[in-house]
Amino acid sequence: MAGNTFMYAQNLHKIYRKNAISTPVLKGVDMEVAEGEFLSVVGASGSGKSTLMHLLGSLDKPDVGEIYYREKRIDNLSADKRDHLRNHDFGFIFQFYHLLPELTALENVMIPLMIRSSVFSWLGNGSVARKRAITLMEKVGLGHRMHHLPKELSGGEMQRTAIARALIGNPALLFADEPTGNLDEDTGREIVQLLRELNEIDNVTIIMVTHNLEIARGTHRIIKLVAGHVEVPLQQHPEAFGVVRPESFDNLPEDENHPDETRRPAGI
Amino acid sequence: MYKLLLCWKYLRTRYLAMVCIVSVMLGVATLIVVNSVMGGFSTKLKERLHGLLSDVVLEAYDYDGFTDAPSKMALIRNDPFLSNEVEAMTATLEIFAMLQFNFREVPFTRPVRIIGIEPEGRKAVGGFAEHLVNPKNHENPTFNLDENARERFIIRRASRGIDFPGPREAPNLNEPPPPDPPPSKPHEPQGVILGYAIAHYRDRNAPADLVNKDVRTLEPGDEVVITTVSGAKMSPVFDRFVVSDYFKSEMSEYDSNYVFMPIEHLQKLRTMEDRVTSIQIKLKDYNKAPKVVARLRELFANAPLEVQTWEQKQGAVLAAIRVEKGILNILLFLIIAVAGFGILAIFSMIVVEKTRDIGILKALGASNGGILTIFIGYGFLLGLVGAGLGTIIGLEITVHINDIEKLIANVTGQDIFPRDVYYFDKIPTDINLFSVFLVNLGSIGIAVLFSILPALRASMLHPVRALRYE
Ligand SMILES: Nc1ncnc2c1ncn2[C@@H]1O[C@H](COP(=O)(O)OP(=O)(O)OP(=O)(O)O)[C@@H](O)[C@H]1O
Ligand SMILES: [Mg+2]
Repeated sequence: MAGNTFMYAQNLHKIYRKNAISTPVLKGVDMEVAEGEFLSVVGASGSGKSTLMHLLGSLDKPDVGEIYYREKRIDNLSADKRDHLRNHDFGFIFQFYHLLPELTALENVMIPLMIRSSVFSWLGNGSVARKRAITLMEKVGLGHRMHHLPKELSGGEMQRTAIARALIGNPALLFADEPTGNLDEDTGREIVQLLRELNEIDNVTIIMVTHNLEIARGTHRIIKLVAGHVEVPLQQHPEAFGVVRPESFDNLPEDENHPDETRRPAGI
Repeated sequence: MYKLLLCWKYLRTRYLAMVCIVSVMLGVATLIVVNSVMGGFSTKLKERLHGLLSDVVLEAYDYDGFTDAPSKMALIRNDPFLSNEVEAMTATLEIFAMLQFNFREVPFTRPVRIIGIEPEGRKAVGGFAEHLVNPKNHENPTFNLDENARERFIIRRASRGIDFPGPREAPNLNEPPPPDPPPSKPHEPQGVILGYAIAHYRDRNAPADLVNKDVRTLEPGDEVVITTVSGAKMSPVFDRFVVSDYFKSEMSEYDSNYVFMPIEHLQKLRTMEDRVTSIQIKLKDYNKAPKVVARLRELFANAPLEVQTWEQKQGAVLAAIRVEKGILNILLFLIIAVAGFGILAIFSMIVVEKTRDIGILKALGASNGGILTIFIGYGFLLGLVGAGLGTIIGLEITVHINDIEKLIANVTGQDIFPRDVYYFDKIPTDINLFSVFLVNLGSIGIAVLFSILPALRASMLHPVRALRYE
């Protein structure tokens, strides 16, 4: 297994059970991402892309399999270590922005820093955090919208706010689940452009789920989820950071890897 | 830090939360008002029940009384323990009697209790002089008529406008006559102090704006006849008296029954010189009453005397008040419990509504404990604000309760607080800061308690499920 990879996952299984019905969503996913890489995850609706992101982002635990981040296994950490990881190392961007509706844009951006500090330490360094939030808001082009509530912002503006929020904790790894899914094409392109800059200039590693193949082609590498497995990469950039394909990928049974497999309709 | 911010924001933006606040507020306000009014009534009632009774009463078992009160008082005064505890004492003689008088040429008769007292001594024991209507009597209670009363007496006597049923002058053959009148002046009967309600009645047809609706049936200077029984043989004895003042304690039992006269006069009338029915004792420190009672019982172990504190004498009524207050408080606390269930319901709704936000917060690294704190803190804040507002409103209402009562009475035309029923001029209130504090503590506690369940549910939410929640 690649020892120097930034994050990698081995044989991830996830089965959703509801009453007697169990839905296997991931059936042995192996994947990895290198430091500084901009990775796209594509796949049909319901193929488990969000599920994979949740597992990698330690929002959920796999039924089987292991996830390593910076050479440390993270899928079996205690709850508070996972909370700490999400707060300090990871950033999340969602399709529906997921801003807190009661807070202004600026407050939304500051939330991750508030979560990590007590009232007293906030009294001490709150103004520093505030300055940083303002800088980030300006960086994502929202310097003039800081005191608006989410409902007073457009979709693109909300997503920029969410990006600023994801960045404020200085994450090493950014998870973006269909960040452009709810936006028109132009706005979506702007958002992706913003992410690409973050990746290139600030060297943030990004894993992005998208349905838009054109957008996906603008990233370093694409993996496709089909029927609970990672399919052969559609596109391997020449500068693909020497990522080694996991061996287990070759061992996948052929039938389960069939692209035309009829799937049951996707649900959420 | 985010917990505080979110609590605050949720408090400001949730209108449902206002419902919680209002329900806590109403509960707290009601509790405070009812408690204060109940407290006021019971303090006032206690005051009145204490009223004429001294702290400790030494009393004979029957109307015959006991002899030699002075030597018994001397015994008490010489006791090393009691002499330090007793502030004042006085002997009294009590007996039932009939009172007869004419009002607007119509004869009236009513049963009364006569209390023979020594005015100065009775004043020292307390609960007497301050209730006399004539202010001159507060300092120096006497049974003598003042100028106006004497004038009225002389005029009425001259016009012979009064006529009593029965024998006019006491034709008592077996009994000694009343004390000798001063030879120089026309015969003036002994003065007596009547209970206020004996000499007044409330005119229900009086115009509404009349402040004093009391109609006086007996003026100072009017004559009355009192009939009672003599000591040994229980044969009827009677005498003429003249009203000198009124006793108004606002305790209707006393005001409508008691007639005071000098103890020596009553003793002579009843031919039981030197006999009294009780010795009233005032203590320096009422907390020592049980010890004093024990010592007195020891001292008079062989005499047919009962020793009791005033509370023991009024035991049944006091116990009833206590029980009533306790039950009322429990019932009222149920109001706040109802508010608590309101909080439970509304909080559960808010948690459902906030499900996705909870998921977001967890995705951003908030811990389960943090989420728990937000919602419990929210409950605490609701309780605090509700209780605070409730306290302010409750205290405001309590302080202005009489104005409010007047206003409501004016608007609805319905007398809420019929003063002649309670015999109070205004609704008594007694704000007990400790119970206000307890009410606040209890209601905030209930708010927190009922927010625990929804808060736990929120904290247990799985982040992914919460994020996927639509
Ligand atoms: N809690 C759950 N219980 C049962 N099944 C679930 C649950 N959550 C997700 N699923 C199922 O898991 C499968 C994968 O869901 P997931 O959201 O990961 O797909 P996705 O690739 O992100 O789809 P989309 O492109 O529509 O976002 C779906 O078929 C969905 O119905
Ligand atoms: Mg998805």
